[in-house]
Amino acid sequence: MARDRWCAALLALLAIAYLVSARRYPLDTLATPGPGLMPVLAGVTLLGIAIWLFATSSRAAGAGSRLGPTGSRLDAARAAGNDTSLPRKPLALCAALLLYAAILPRVGFAASSFALVVVASRLMGETSWWRPVALALGFVSVSHLLFARWLGVPLP
Amino acid sequence: MSELFVALTPSNLLACFLGTVLGTIVGVLPGLGPAGAMALVLPLTIKLGPTAGLIMLAGIYYGAMYGGSTTSILVNVPGEAASVVTTIDGYRLARKGRAGAALAIAAIASFVAGTFSVIALQIAAPLVARAALAFGPAEYFAFALLGLVLLGNLTGGSRAKSLAMVVLGVMLSTVGMDPLGGTVRFTFDLSGAQAGLSFVAVTTGLFGVAEVLASMGELAAMSAVAHPRFRELYPSRVELRRSLPAMLHGTLLGFLVGLVPGPAATIASFVSYGIEKKVGKHRAELGSGAIEGVAGPEAANNAAAGSGMIPLLSLGLPFTPSTAVLLSGMLLMNVTPGPFLVRDHPGVFWGVIGSFYVGNVMLLLLNLPLVGLFARVATIPARYLMPGVLVLCAVAAYSDNNNVFDVWVMIVAGVVGWAMRALEFNPAPLVLGLVLGPVLERSLLQALTIARGEIGGLWASRPAAVMLAATVVAFIGSGVTALTRRAATRRS
Repeated sequence: MARDRWCAALLALLAIAYLVSARRYPLDTLATPGPGLMPVLAGVTLLGIAIWLFATSSRAAGAGSRLGPTGSRLDAARAAGNDTSLPRKPLALCAALLLYAAILPRVGFAASSFALVVVASRLMGETSWWRPVALALGFVSVSHLLFARWLGVPLP
Repeated sequence: MSELFVALTPSNLLACFLGTVLGTIVGVLPGLGPAGAMALVLPLTIKLGPTAGLIMLAGIYYGAMYGGSTTSILVNVPGEAASVVTTIDGYRLARKGRAGAALAIAAIASFVAGTFSVIALQIAAPLVARAALAFGPAEYFAFALLGLVLLGNLTGGSRAKSLAMVVLGVMLSTVGMDPLGGTVRFTFDLSGAQAGLSFVAVTTGLFGVAEVLASMGELAAMSAVAHPRFRELYPSRVELRRSLPAMLHGTLLGFLVGLVPGPAATIASFVSYGIEKKVGKHRAELGSGAIEGVAGPEAANNAAAGSGMIPLLSLGLPFTPSTAVLLSGMLLMNVTPGPFLVRDHPGVFWGVIGSFYVGNVMLLLLNLPLVGLFARVATIPARYLMPGVLVLCAVAAYSDNNNVFDVWVMIVAGVVGWAMRALEFNPAPLVLGLVLGPVLERSLLQALTIARGEIGGLWASRPAAVMLAATVVAFIGSGVTALTRRAATRRS
């Protein structure tokens, strides 16, 4: 529930930032509505939903705390969504993906995709090196043939 | 109507075959769903041309519904959310040595329901399209709003979270040019964002990349796969007789549920199972390996997938992520779905409908003898399959506008989608908000202009008033239901 309250706060911040950005677009009149009308309606609605989510999660958390301790501290933290252990491998893959997008225009599709497949396969538990390399060669060759040669997609 | 035979040209038959095979594989594989897979092959389908391309996309869509049952029955792992309920009795039937019969009944039920929904689609879609010709901006606004509110209520889990995702999708749809005046909004001087956020990039990120990230800790454990022989596929006469009423209930129910916005195929399969538990002749056996528990839900999810095409083809409004990708594909191929689709592109409209008949036969023929092969696909380790999915996602996102900016959008959407899953936010409402956002905005602005700024103009016509009233009832009704449920839980 603490997690939901954080989510609600994040959504509220997002809605406020969006509404602040939307101020530069004119609302005009209802008879001739401007490009700012929909953003204002959407931003205000999201802000309202964020307050609703915060209120419901706070109420649920209050009800939960009245029940008293039912298990270990770790269980309680998990139940409250406060599990602090980091999913290292998915986070490493996120970093690899961001690096992939950064190097894609510089080194090209083939080299960057080859590296991505090898890294992703290793992160997903593959222990040998030759299998990911063979896999990467296969994926890159087939996708290059299919998309660049046959479909004419101008891959970087 | 003679355009129905367009589906029988060699190139369209090949597109249908490739789509159904790919859809079956996607349905078999836990993780990557039909929406993600359809977005992945969009560049390929654009090259095929509108009719063959859309036939292939549609093949993936309904092929996934067929394939989803295979792993539910053989491995106890649903390939699709719509096949979750099939695991209950399907896997128990497999443990009893009736895997072949369960698979055959699932394929037959899917065929019966799929064929029924195509016939109904063929009749209903042009009628709805003709009625929709009278629709103005106020009606479209009311219909899109009703769809989004219903979607927020039906996706399961927290209603506030679902509605937040819907609104977030609408907010993302405001990036780029506004639909009427051409003002560029929220681009922050990024040239790639001027045409708006690529729908393909957002979808491949939310359903492809996020799925790969989420699967990193999940796919290690996989049950042993049963391999039924061909002669074991024949259900007994008793099994056929018992499954027939469940198939019919599931077909009718699935068709009606498919017309409602939301994850219709999943809801239809659960409701069908619930109905069998209430009215079925052998309801006591459900849960311990009853054939009705396979026939009903499988018929329901296929019928819902078929009827979900009616709002898309006749109104141009998609209510599921898969039909939203189909809409995106149509627009990329310069085919605008809606009331004028039959008039402007009869070959595409009837060709796609004709391909549903052909596809259903192909799926029946494919699913019966090749079921063991498809089940083996599900056991390919994630470490070999998922890296390739990442590369395909990148190619699909890039090729939408031949722009690296879209690859960034895909990756950010993937990371955000993964975090959303961890925080129990469903990404499907966001995708539909993104698609329906421009419809909502355009129709609202046009309706207000026509009514000269009078808000009452939004509900001046009877259809618009009925739909807006339904929106209010849906919103308040679900709130009352939630409060009642909470009070009952507190009492117990």
